[in-house]
Amino acid sequence: MENLIEIKDLHASINGKEILKGINLTVKAGEVHAIMGPNGSGKSTLSAVLAGKENYEVTGGSVTFLGRNLLEMSPEERSWAGLFLGFQYPIEIPGVTNVNFMKTAVNEHRKQNNLPALTAAEYLKLMREKLAIVEMDPAFSSRGVNVGFSGGEKKRNEIFQMAMLNPRLAILDETDSGLDVDALRIVANGVNKLKTPQNATIVITHYQRLLDYIVPDIVHVLYKGRIIKTSGKELALEVESRGYDWLINESE
Amino acid sequence: MTNYIYTPDNNNPGFRCRVPLNNTVQLFVADGIMQQENIGEISIQQQERGYTLHVEKGKNIPELLQIISVRTSANTRPLDFSSRFELESCSSAKLLLCSHTLSEDNFATNENISVEIGENAVLDLVMMQNEHNNSIHNAKFDISLAANSLLRFHIVTLHGGEITNTINVNLNGKGCECDLNGLYLANGKQHISNKVNISHNVPECHSNQLFKGILEDEAITKFSGTILVAKDAQKTEAYQANNNLLSSDFAKAYTQPHLEIYADDVKCSHGATVGSLNEDELFYMRSRGISYNEAKLLQQQAFAYAALAKINNPELLDRLGNLVEKRLRGEFSHCQNCSTHCC
Repeated sequence: MENLIEIKDLHASINGKEILKGINLTVKAGEVHAIMGPNGSGKSTLSAVLAGKENYEVTGGSVTFLGRNLLEMSPEERSWAGLFLGFQYPIEIPGVTNVNFMKTAVNEHRKQNNLPALTAAEYLKLMREKLAIVEMDPAFSSRGVNVGFSGGEKKRNEIFQMAMLNPRLAILDETDSGLDVDALRIVANGVNKLKTPQNATIVITHYQRLLDYIVPDIVHVLYKGRIIKTSGKELALEVESRGYDWLINESE
Repeated sequence: MTNYIYTPDNNNPGFRCRVPLNNTVQLFVADGIMQQENIGEISIQQQERGYTLHVEKGKNIPELLQIISVRTSANTRPLDFSSRFELESCSSAKLLLCSHTLSEDNFATNENISVEIGENAVLDLVMMQNEHNNSIHNAKFDISLAANSLLRFHIVTLHGGEITNTINVNLNGKGCECDLNGLYLANGKQHISNKVNISHNVPECHSNQLFKGILEDEAITKFSGTILVAKDAQKTEAYQANNNLLSSDFAKAYTQPHLEIYADDVKCSHGATVGSLNEDELFYMRSRGISYNEAKLLQQQAFAYAALAKINNPELLDRLGNLVEKRLRGEFSHCQNCSTHCC
């Protein structure tokens, strides 16, 4: 299958402190990868660097996304190219309605593909269709982006946005944090419904729980900025029962 | 573009205004001179420099009165003029005051606007300023409110070289209310000042001020707001907020709240902020494919909206929202000095 993303020996730091110390990871179309790891191992840094957050400095290595140098692209260019980051802590934007936010985003994507902007009716139809994937009430669209949303609503909103933008590669950063069992099921079902042979997902998580719902093909364990173990989905279960210590001891 | 209406033939034929809002009566003032006689039941008295508009007791004017005041090349000297709005008791009116410059001359305008609102009267007042970069305009408002009257005032400065608004409000009758909202958009080397003095002279009056500014380039804005609560003005409620959003390292926003309170049973507050664009919001929007400029615009519009939100004419609110967007997109300045006419 086609390589969507190839990360080679990626090093990155923030405020002069090196967080990523040589990440190697290749994700092919149709795959679901899980990245697990204890607190502070660099999971969120990896997703932020891939999405193009400016306060991280890439100090070495390369990232190729669909044949292009991802690290040279602005955050919006990465989105247009088909990368999506589901935020661990989705940002609230008071005064900007969900509908205005997503309509602007969808139409900017369309502009990149030389497609005309959606009419209000076309947008509404698409929005309703995608809201159903995460069982969200259309009434939410007139509210400010994530303003006053519960933890579960925020994460459902992330998956709704993913559905609207139809990315080739989605990186879901701790999508399970702050979710109760019902919300977890809805969010995971949403992700599963969006799975196609052409796209791929990287699920970043602390806990094995989410992986009961979104079953990974490959599980990586990240520790101190490096991937110390890569294996099949059984690795997640092993981490759940034995913790990370044995892997850390093994790698050191 | 079609469907422009023009000022009366005896006036500047070059001036045009888009189709007026529904249910609107337009009046034109050229270089301080009112161009129309009385319209319907609205009484207008002409003066040498200015005019008085009078609404009789108990009269409710359903239409929006749009008074379009323009400076033209016919008179490029510094100009003083006065306008006066009188609402007798139990009357109501809705006023939209627009001020424009029609040529690139270096206009200087001193305008005195007095507003007298009688008992139980209600005035919705919107001032929209859109002048070119070489224009100096001092607009001074002297407003008095009688018992149980209500003023909703929005002042929107879209464009202008050096604009100073002085707004003096006297709350003279028990139970009156003044809701004052301002939005100023400044770029280039524009200077915009708003000086507000609200005097709570009697008990049980409410006042609320919200002024918001968006600054770019090397623009300078000043806000100074005074709330004076007289000794016997118990049960006063007076609030003031001034928020500024700077999108440039070289823009300067000065803000000066000032409370002088001589009564002891009052609720008063003030708050002032000067901030820059929110990086987290920008990144979130960009990560969804919203380009930097659009993300910045969305944030600016969201910031501005609160200062317009209480305009209770939806069509006017929509129109002003569009103008603010166009202004923030830089579509107002055709060339270095001018601005489009947008009323």
